[in-house]
Amino acid sequence: MRQEAVDVLIIGSGHAGGMAAKILTEKGISCLMLNAGPIVDVARNAERKSAYELPYRGFKPPGRLAHVFQSNEFNANVWVDEKEVPYTFDQANPYNWVRVRLFGGRSLFWSRQSFRLSDYEFKARSRDGFGEDWPISLADVAPYYSRVEDIFQVHGKSEGLEQYPDGNFVVDDSPWPTSMLRFAEAGKKIGVPVCRQRSSHGRDGLASSVNLLLPDAFATGKLEAVENAVVRNLTIDKQTGLVNGANFVDRLSRREMSVKAKRVVLAAGTLESTRLLLNSGLGNSSGVMGHYLMDQIYGAGITCSVPEARGGKATPALMGGGALVPRFRNISTKADGFLRGYALNVTSRLGALEARNFAAYGTELQKKMDDYYGSAFYMTIMGEVLGRNENLVRINKDVVDAWGIPTLHVQTKYTDNEYNMARDAVNTSVAMAESAGFEVLSKNTEPNPPGYSIHEVGTCRMGDDPKKSVLNKWNQSHDHKNLFVVDGACFTSAGWQNPTMTILALSMRASEYMAEQMRQGNI
Amino acid sequence: MRRREFVRAMVSAAAAPKLLLGQGQNPAPPPPAPVPWTVGLNSSTPVPKAKLAEAVAEGESRFFTPGQMATLTRLSDVLLPPIGSKPGALAAGVPAFLDFLVGSSPDDRKDMYRGGLDWLDSEAKKKFSLPFSRLNAEQADVILKPWLRTWMSDHPPLEKHADFVNVAHADIRAAAINSKPWSDAPAVGAQEKTQVALYWYPIEPDLYGDRTKAMQVPQAKKGSRPTTELRRNY
Repeated sequence: MRQEAVDVLIIGSGHAGGMAAKILTEKGISCLMLNAGPIVDVARNAERKSAYELPYRGFKPPGRLAHVFQSNEFNANVWVDEKEVPYTFDQANPYNWVRVRLFGGRSLFWSRQSFRLSDYEFKARSRDGFGEDWPISLADVAPYYSRVEDIFQVHGKSEGLEQYPDGNFVVDDSPWPTSMLRFAEAGKKIGVPVCRQRSSHGRDGLASSVNLLLPDAFATGKLEAVENAVVRNLTIDKQTGLVNGANFVDRLSRREMSVKAKRVVLAAGTLESTRLLLNSGLGNSSGVMGHYLMDQIYGAGITCSVPEARGGKATPALMGGGALVPRFRNISTKADGFLRGYALNVTSRLGALEARNFAAYGTELQKKMDDYYGSAFYMTIMGEVLGRNENLVRINKDVVDAWGIPTLHVQTKYTDNEYNMARDAVNTSVAMAESAGFEVLSKNTEPNPPGYSIHEVGTCRMGDDPKKSVLNKWNQSHDHKNLFVVDGACFTSAGWQNPTMTILALSMRASEYMAEQMRQGNI
Repeated sequence: MRRREFVRAMVSAAAAPKLLLGQGQNPAPPPPAPVPWTVGLNSSTPVPKAKLAEAVAEGESRFFTPGQMATLTRLSDVLLPPIGSKPGALAAGVPAFLDFLVGSSPDDRKDMYRGGLDWLDSEAKKKFSLPFSRLNAEQADVILKPWLRTWMSDHPPLEKHADFVNVAHADIRAAAINSKPWSDAPAVGAQEKTQVALYWYPIEPDLYGDRTKAMQVPQAKKGSRPTTELRRNY
């Protein structure tokens, strides 16, 4: 048994916790990491199979994971089951909370799109008057983004657009297929930029905490980690007001454990970090903890076909590849019906178009699918959701999880701002597709339920004013100076961007600040 | 334990103290009886080959009524007949599989299927004075065609009847394409392939989980099923 308090207790092992562990241990600081789930070994835990070998032929096991649209029978066992860790919501406003508790968390499965926020996000209030500015700007974060982009091997191309800040890229200069060039040309006519995608390549096809961050931390000899440690609450020294440890329960044996710590880094994933703080009764003198839950609207978009690629004429010179349309609304002009903006993911594929793109069946459908094979061209939205006080999570004491820990009630919904944005995205996509000579096969303006993007952020937002924010600009609790929250909970606004690069950069920045404060004896 | 093995076990147990004395230190103890054969389970041991139960046996139908099953069987055959050398939905065992899948599903999916199949049958009787199961392809087309839609993933049509026709169509196709008979047959043109992917086994499952009291997600009360959570996802 350990007698002495650990230097730093890190809760969570995903991108945020992995980065904190790497930075702190490389500075010689001893860390203990707790993770709620087990270590996964792909050689032992997974195997390639055909759908017919599975009981439900690949269909999602019925009744399980109703709010994880990403799940199917192959991957059903990697997600947190809402029967084991429930959460509640009003049936009129469903929420898709998509969670992974394996070691490495959701960093094992993310889509790897890698974007910086711009000052259109950091300083959004200054531009349109809504919400709050972040207490930091792109200039504060840029050096950290650069280092993160190096670790994650982000491929991309400099575009020179203020709303799509350039970075430290492995240059992607591969030629675009002609269908993508036509789409870009259609964008140019109406002032919509069509840019290169930016994506983390990592190492060996994986860009995760478990291969890019944690090995460095373990190599220092300064990191200890415990799996299956479900943290119940943080504890506090009543004399000093500082956090001094955590109580956790072993997931499998259900043995209750406790650990002492001099400092705590919370990196359990946006809503789990907030749930833990609310269950501990810590850090909420402002009263805004749990509020301003945000994410991004996904699900709206269109599916097209490039006519020249039909009838077996699809070639890599014509089809394939991807592009990104960064936010273009409310940059130099003002959009009608919504604040902020959205990006479009653009992909073109040489394979089959899904049967649902044709109102036909049987032999007629097969003829269509043969003809249209290789001609698919998709556009889908990634839209900013505004941070609103009334979109929130709170503790539901009446429902507890498998270890008796009170759960979250999620109360959030989209408003006209998001719905109008989704319609605009579809209308713009259709206009560009038609201008490029593509046939629009199907479209959808209805966003997926909140949470679906797995980009939930906010609920412990950062700010300079302790009355209006939970964390300061260093991800440090205004109330307990030895407590840091380094995951997406700190976001002041969501942006349209995949939040991963920002979470990594801010965790790196907060951890270096923390190490320096420790060196100076301040915490 | 048979007597001879029992005696041998006794003899080796009795011999142990002598060996201990003779060597002055602990020798490896003899392995207990059940262990030795397991060393034969190594990478050169052939693993038994198993058939899919579906390939050798009938699934018991326990959800749809015989009338609904007849309608589903005809619907499956109409929507996905054999094309080229690929089996159709019937040879892929789709109706029996859907009885199993839908029968294990939440109420809203059950209701949509039962309601949809009954509606098809009543339409057939109204228009052709025949049960749906006895319609020819042209007659079935008259009923089905007006309800076919194009749609994007996670967003099937919500309109009554169109929801059932399009979701059932997608389910019938997926169940057929992901069957062994489909996988075994060669494709012609751009016929879809059986899904092959990385399957994740349960990772350190919590075997005690169902003994705890906290495992039930609160459900809406019976009869007050939400009408607002429209998107169906199973």
